[in-house]
Amino acid sequence: MISFLFGKVRIVSSTTDIADIVKIIGGDHVTVTSIARGNQDPHYVEILPSYMVKVRKADIYFMVGMELDLWAQQIIDGSRNRKVMVVDCSVEINKMEVPTGQIDASMGDIHRFGNPHYWLDPENGKLIARMVAEKLINHDSKNAEQYQSNLTQFENDLNSAISIWTKRFSDLRNKNIIFYHNSWPYFSKRFGLITVGFLEPKPGITPSPSQLNQVINQIKENEIEVIASESYFSDRAPKFIESKINVRTVKLAQSVGAIEGADSYINLFETNLLILAKAYGVSYD
Amino acid sequence: MLRKLVGGILITTFTFGQTTANPQFSVIGDLVIDHLHKNTSLLSSGIEMAIQGYVNPFARADIYLHKHNDSSPIELEEAVMTIEKGLPYGLGIRAGKFRPDLGKINKDHAHLFPYIEAPSGMAKILGEEFWSATGVETNVFLPLPWYSNFSLSYFDSGIGSHDHSDHEKDEDHDEDKDDHDHDEKDYGSDKQTNAFTVRWSHFFELNDVNHLELGLSGYSGQDEGILGADFKYKWRPNKYRSLTIQAEVLQHSLEDEYMKKAVHPDEKLTAAYAMVNFQFNKSYNFGVMVDYWSLDLADDESMNPSIFFGFSPVEESAVLRLKIGQLEDADHHKKHLKTTVQIIWSLGPHKPHRY
Repeated sequence: MISFLFGKVRIVSSTTDIADIVKIIGGDHVTVTSIARGNQDPHYVEILPSYMVKVRKADIYFMVGMELDLWAQQIIDGSRNRKVMVVDCSVEINKMEVPTGQIDASMGDIHRFGNPHYWLDPENGKLIARMVAEKLINHDSKNAEQYQSNLTQFENDLNSAISIWTKRFSDLRNKNIIFYHNSWPYFSKRFGLITVGFLEPKPGITPSPSQLNQVINQIKENEIEVIASESYFSDRAPKFIESKINVRTVKLAQSVGAIEGADSYINLFETNLLILAKAYGVSYD
Repeated sequence: MLRKLVGGILITTFTFGQTTANPQFSVIGDLVIDHLHKNTSLLSSGIEMAIQGYVNPFARADIYLHKHNDSSPIELEEAVMTIEKGLPYGLGIRAGKFRPDLGKINKDHAHLFPYIEAPSGMAKILGEEFWSATGVETNVFLPLPWYSNFSLSYFDSGIGSHDHSDHEKDEDHDEDKDDHDHDEKDYGSDKQTNAFTVRWSHFFELNDVNHLELGLSGYSGQDEGILGADFKYKWRPNKYRSLTIQAEVLQHSLEDEYMKKAVHPDEKLTAAYAMVNFQFNKSYNFGVMVDYWSLDLADDESMNPSIFFGFSPVEESAVLRLKIGQLEDADHHKKHLKTTVQIIWSLGPHKPHRY
């Protein structure tokens, strides 16, 4: 109601990463709410009626797309909001790991349109920001100049951060790593990490004891030093491996707000890279 | 008349609103093993097929077909078109054959129950497979700061006229273990009356992890009525940990006959259940339930506690459930321990949720 009185654009996004980018581009001219919390698994969000209340008066809904947030459509439909503009932020993304051939449930929780964790490459953050700015300018043209200026500033900040990260964390390049879930191909590609395997035998499938034994063998063969997992997974499997073999386990922020320090889109990368640099014991100054 | 009208709406919508995209197709099947009176029986409570999709940008259609067991025919459980977008004032419409918005449990399909079988008290009022009827529902999303939904529905047949194929299912059971079911199928089978339902439900997001739902329901058929209230609290700190407390009560004002037996015209059947379900990690949940019903003037009542357990190795595509509970004879002279195991699986996006 307050935002209506002050003429702000009301935005809802599926995740906190998009919400943070919207806040940066929209500034004081928008109100933004994220459906999923930062420490929540964005694949599975329980649809609560209260989410429909959040979308009921929204002007724009930003989705992650690529079938990550399939739950969003049910929330949007349930909101009865006839005017909301739904924007798929993945449209301009250069998609990785797009499966070929027949896809079925025997392959685990696989995404037909490619790996949807694209926001974990800061270059893709710029594409999301451009999409957000374009839609805000279309919807609220009187503040177009401000949105454009905020976009330029965000791109400059991100460019300079990427340039600094690339130098500061260059020692992470070519380091072998095991992840819990396959959320990190965009991140790994950007920062030069080599993904050797996953704790999950297939996406979305809990690691079995035999899978954990395989991972232990993989760690021995490839001299892997670090296992990284998303904040929402249990520590049990990584800690079990840590107790059996000399390997460090860390939790990374898969989204803004997932762990302490990852309180903005830029700080998400800063925090993750620092955690990894410390885990590998490489210099980062 | 109503059937023709609803049929016409559905046919028109499908014919003129059909897009080129295929609908989603899902199948849920299960196997149930019962142990009662030292007898173990293996039976399937059937296959549910769901066909779901958008008809056009404003409407979606959901069709559920149910085959109860090997010898039963495929039944149409629901075939409903839902319009949620494009209508003014937050209005929504459902039309077709569907489970009316009466109480909390009536809309749930059996595979959603962590306690395997419907509470017997609720089944006495709503039918063993619950009430599904042809009709039209209009609902409105009230402009309140919290989620508040009000629905009003009209149906071509009342609760007494539900026609489910648990007749065949019952025949496969040991006779004396399912006295309740045998009585159930006779309940008002000759009734064909129009009916109305009304429901007002609220959902409060207390904070990120605590949620509360409250609902009031009413039903009016020829010479009969139902009033109901329901409650659900859920604490969900993360994806794999939750505590659900749910309770519901329905009171049915009976006519002068119930289960083909004369009753006082002021007789009331009260049914209730209360459930606590705790999901303690990705794969396991455990809970307790108390199932209750009473006939007020006949001074007849039954209360049956049970415990249940669920294991889901791979998200919700396969679930193993176990229930151990008390079951009373129809005359309440004897109480028995009944153990039920259910294996439930799914293909496609329509899943058997554990909680």
